[in-house]
Amino acid sequence: MRLYETGFLISPTLSEEEAEAIIVQMAEVVSQKNGKMIKQEKWGKRRMAYPIKKAGEAYYVFFHYEGEPDIPQELGRRFRQMDTILRYLTLNKETQVNVRKKKKAEKRSKAKEAAGDEETAESLSARDLGPAPADKKREEE
Amino acid sequence: MAREERMEKSSYKKFFPPKKKFCRFCQRNIKFIDYKNVDILKKYVPDRGKISPRRVTGTCAFHQRKLAEAVKRARLMGMLPYVED
Repeated sequence: MRLYETGFLISPTLSEEEAEAIIVQMAEVVSQKNGKMIKQEKWGKRRMAYPIKKAGEAYYVFFHYEGEPDIPQELGRRFRQMDTILRYLTLNKETQVNVRKKKKAEKRSKAKEAAGDEETAESLSARDLGPAPADKKREEE
Repeated sequence: MAREERMEKSSYKKFFPPKKKFCRFCQRNIKFIDYKNVDILKKYVPDRGKISPRRVTGTCAFHQRKLAEAVKRARLMGMLPYVED
């Protein structure tokens, strides 16, 4: 199970009800594939910084959900088929956190090894271990 | 000529040291910068639409990378401009 965030822009040529219908359709795709919808964000119609496909505005929608990797794949496939979707962007949130944590864990284990091996390295390892508690706090938050 | 100018600059800096800049993301202990909060990103993208460099804003290297990524994502989604004139 992974945590994803997908944002997409719906063309302003549609009425609000039609846009709502698309959002419901996409939410169904997530639930069909045993995904868990965590949060839905709707910004409504918003001016864009530059025109996309000759449209100056768009409906902004964001899905936060949890599930297998085939969900964003399926969503992307549907978005590409529809002309009314101007842009979409999917982010995998979980991996970003994991990579950072892994690196930190490696560093900590290395510092411990260094402390165990040599007596002369004591001063060095003490310096290495110094900022570690601060990192831990940050992770917990 | 050039040397004189440089001397002038350094002495000027001696008497009026520039205000110390600091990373505003480190200050608030922010780990990830979301591309969706455009109000924050806009502060780092002045009139021209370019990402302002680290030496101007004082952002740390780690957060500058995150910031650049967030700005580029926001540009893709039409929240920030690629170019503005």
